[in-house]
Amino acid sequence: MAADTDIFLEHGNLGRPLAMSVGLHLALAGIIVLFGVILPARRGAMWGAGGGGDAIGVSLVSTIPLPASSIQTQNVVANESKGLSQSQPQEKHEEPDAIPIPDKATKTKPKPVTSASKAKPKPEPEEETNEVPFGQGGPVSGPYGTFSAAGAKGGFGFQGGGGDFGSAYAWYVRVVQQKVSENWLKYEVDPSIHQANRVYVVFDINRSGQPTNVQIEQSSGVPSLDQSAVRAIQRIDTFGPLPPQYAGNKVTVEFWFDYKR
Amino acid sequence: MHYGHLKMEKYRITINSSPQPLLRMDDHPRIRFSLALLILVLVVTFLAPRSFAQDWIRTGTGLGVEKIRLAAADFQPSTQDPKNTDLLKIFNDTLSNDLDNAGIFDMVSKSFHPTQVPGNPSQVRFEAWNGPPPNAAMLAFGDLGVTGNNVLVHGWLYDVKNVGSPQVLGKQYTDVATTDAARLIAHKFADEIIFRLGGGVPGIAESKIFFVSDRTGHKEIWAMDYDGSNQHQVTHLGTISLSPRISPDGTRLTLSSLTKTGWELVMFSLDLNRAVSFPRMGGTNLSPAWSPDGTRIAFSSSRAGESNIYSADQSGSNLHRLTSDRGPDVGPTFNRKTGAQIAFVSGRTGLPQIYTMEADGTNAQRVTDQGYAVSPNWSPNGQFLALSWFRKYGPGAPGANDIYIMDIASKQWVQMTHDGGRNDFPCWSPDGRHIVFQSSRSGTEQIWTMLADGTKVQQLTFSGRNSQPNWSWK
Repeated sequence: MAADTDIFLEHGNLGRPLAMSVGLHLALAGIIVLFGVILPARRGAMWGAGGGGDAIGVSLVSTIPLPASSIQTQNVVANESKGLSQSQPQEKHEEPDAIPIPDKATKTKPKPVTSASKAKPKPEPEEETNEVPFGQGGPVSGPYGTFSAAGAKGGFGFQGGGGDFGSAYAWYVRVVQQKVSENWLKYEVDPSIHQANRVYVVFDINRSGQPTNVQIEQSSGVPSLDQSAVRAIQRIDTFGPLPPQYAGNKVTVEFWFDYKR
Repeated sequence: MHYGHLKMEKYRITINSSPQPLLRMDDHPRIRFSLALLILVLVVTFLAPRSFAQDWIRTGTGLGVEKIRLAAADFQPSTQDPKNTDLLKIFNDTLSNDLDNAGIFDMVSKSFHPTQVPGNPSQVRFEAWNGPPPNAAMLAFGDLGVTGNNVLVHGWLYDVKNVGSPQVLGKQYTDVATTDAARLIAHKFADEIIFRLGGGVPGIAESKIFFVSDRTGHKEIWAMDYDGSNQHQVTHLGTISLSPRISPDGTRLTLSSLTKTGWELVMFSLDLNRAVSFPRMGGTNLSPAWSPDGTRIAFSSSRAGESNIYSADQSGSNLHRLTSDRGPDVGPTFNRKTGAQIAFVSGRTGLPQIYTMEADGTNAQRVTDQGYAVSPNWSPNGQFLALSWFRKYGPGAPGANDIYIMDIASKQWVQMTHDGGRNDFPCWSPDGRHIVFQSSRSGTEQIWTMLADGTKVQQLTFSGRNSQPNWSWK
């Protein structure tokens, strides 16, 4: 099949487009000259080094490796009081007509088996602990940032699931928690976000204490929050070597981040 | 208006509507078997790691992290030697002091300790320590005994809330039976505890501080332990010596000294206990700083007229000029984490302000926005600058220079000192938790330390005038 090509051999009249093109180019060059050279007399040799660099005064400095601050309470001396947050005893509702059925009432739920199963264990629900084990407690405050303090009630609790690591080496779990919390820079999160779902991050700690294989297990839906959580862990060089009595080569940590501005 | 036309011929593309399969399973049982095997292998590979017992930790933010409540029990004597008493006193005092100064523990006051103090693991009564009044989470205890000329120390760190497997550390030290050795062993044990419980950051109990002191009549370089003990003179140059900076490996000290030809850099070897040769630069040379790998030194020199920042090898060769702007540029400090940036003081806009630049002199950026800012010192984690700043500088302005910490990335700053007096020359400790600085709040210039959150301010020197402290790198 012959391609039907009609090529008109007339010269296209390009005079007018050419004139418009030249004119627009000249106008553009003129605008560049105008705004670049003639107008900004003040922007001179200090390009790049000028400006105050917006130093902002705030009362928050985050990743100094000190634990977040002394507790501010009225009474400085440690005493036996359970602190400013008291646990409320659960009110028991007793039905006056109920007769307890002897057999079925004593059935206990089997403890959830965690490490042996193939499926990843579900993240545990947030638990509010009223426990304040070290004398008076209350909201932790001070010159250091309020990441873990806002809404926290003091007192340390961990859910050491899986294996015996958490129960045998509670002090190491505490170190992990403290280091990650210290290195989490809340200002990396989008400032328009005030509250977000939890983001769960999973990583391994190898024998020398380095965090490796950092992954987001469950996103919070806010990308900047997810990234700030991952960066918090990547920022850490080491948690300290794993306890020498621990036989494994690594420990897997599932860490959740609660963000509340 | 005419445009050239090119008529396109439309071509028809036919798609084969009944594709022939490449492979038929029925015809090739071997392929089917291999495929099944492959699937099986994949399944096993991906599921197998999960089926091994893997230890998990599950924790998160918002749980409130308290300081660890640590009880440092007095070590008990393990032999009957009379020298035990002195050594034990020094050891116990040093150990509790080091742990208290670490900044990461909530120390149990000695008056809360139970009367029966354990000397070895069999004597530990958990309920006496983890309940009120001590309410301790951790217990450090042990024994110390002199036999002949040697002292043997056993130390343990127990998690008293975990009765099943309490031991975190068990250590044994031996040395000659002197008070200095007892102090050193206490420092070592404290450092070990801090390393374990502080998340892999080594303790500073064995670190040193170098400073300028005029208590002999003229300003020489002195050194002391991080807690102010063991103050001794290092240089005997007989002239004015300033801004001591210890090398990262701890063997050499670089300082600026007033020689016959003016202010020159002097390299002092701590091993040989004398100055070693270093080229004369000419002009006024001040404020040397080491790069974290110990290969380069940055300093300010006026050899070409105005004071500018130069860098040279640690032997003094390969001199490079880094800044060329007008205005005196002094006081360089390297980024301690990367060695790729330098912060310095520049008067190019009038009052001194802090700038950062790359280590080759490019990309100078201003960090402070007002006032009178001097003496930057970069933190070991590379994120902060400690500086001495007088924000509202001017005639009749209240206040004076105070120590500030600034986060370089976000430019957020915190004021550390408030109490008046001029506070200057801050220097970070190697663990990033403490700052040593000079302050005139007691009347004369003395060396003070504080935690990097501004608490626990302590005076270290008391006699003469002491200034320009520099903390060792480890």
